Amino acid sequence: MAIPRSFRLLEELEKGEKGGSQVCSYGLADGEDVTMTKWNGTILGAPNSAHANRIYSVEIECDSTYPDKPPKVKFVSKINLDCVDQTTGEIIVEKFNTMKNWKRSTTMEDILLDLRKEMITATNKALPQPAEGSTF
Amino acid sequence: MSALPRRIVKETKNLVKDPVPGIKTNIPDDDNLRYLTVEMEGPAGSPFAGGVFSLELYLPEEYPMEPPKIRFLTPLYHPNIDKLGRICLDVLKDHWSPAFQIRTVLLSIQQLLGTPNPDDPLLSDVAELCKNDNAKYCEVAREWTKKYAIPEPKE
Repeated sequence: MAIPRSFRLLEELEKGEKGGSQVCSYGLADGEDVTMTKWNGTILGAPNSAHANRIYSVEIECDSTYPDKPPKVKFVSKINLDCVDQTTGEIIVEKFNTMKNWKRSTTMEDILLDLRKEMITATNKALPQPAEGSTF
Repeated sequence: MSALPRRIVKETKNLVKDPVPGIKTNIPDDDNLRYLTVEMEGPAGSPFAGGVFSLELYLPEEYPMEPPKIRFLTPLYHPNIDKLGRICLDVLKDHWSPAFQIRTVLLSIQQLLGTPNPDDPLLSDVAELCKNDNAKYCEVAREWTKKYAIPEPKE
């Protein structure tokens, strides 16, 4: 008797509209899309890293299987992380624990916050970063 | 998964068995009595008359301490209902009481169709029109009703 997809997405939307987190934001790509499939998100780069003060844009697609299955997530802004496909910007699910071990209760906000944490893992911190503002 | 409270079983079964006139409730999945779909007739004398509007309703874990979650699936032109079908109505928010029932909420929503509240709008442009040029508002609302909520006659 889990919450249906639409009401779950409405909850996430409401939280996002209220400004869910200080370091990330998210909302519907098209505010009139009743299926609530496509979302845009931003992540503020982690401090004390090459990402500090940068703002990364991501696209999130919640198809009809969400939240039973994770959404598709893709960086629009270029970023060099182990879990990001360097040609498409898509998240490589196998390399991103939050989506690999998906739980129904995990939200888009969790994904964005965990991607931010990825920026400062030991492996990722050593990676050179592309010029700010470039896109995939 | 905890057992469903008796109140929910009773309320949902009753709604299906003994519906509110002009409001039909269905349980799409018998294993999930917390999720209902609703077909609501537009109230007579309103620009929504003649239309049948679909809604979906979910009773959260906290129900009845928290109100049901409900939204329109059929588009409609109304200052208190946004493009995603979300409804701005006091009984769904701060004026909810556990003494209310799904039935109460559905009736309030149907009533809201006939008596919009442009002073507490979700859509300010629709509210402006509703207040300043009510005839035009009704005309647009009727057009939308015709376009989205009146089934095409069968050939």
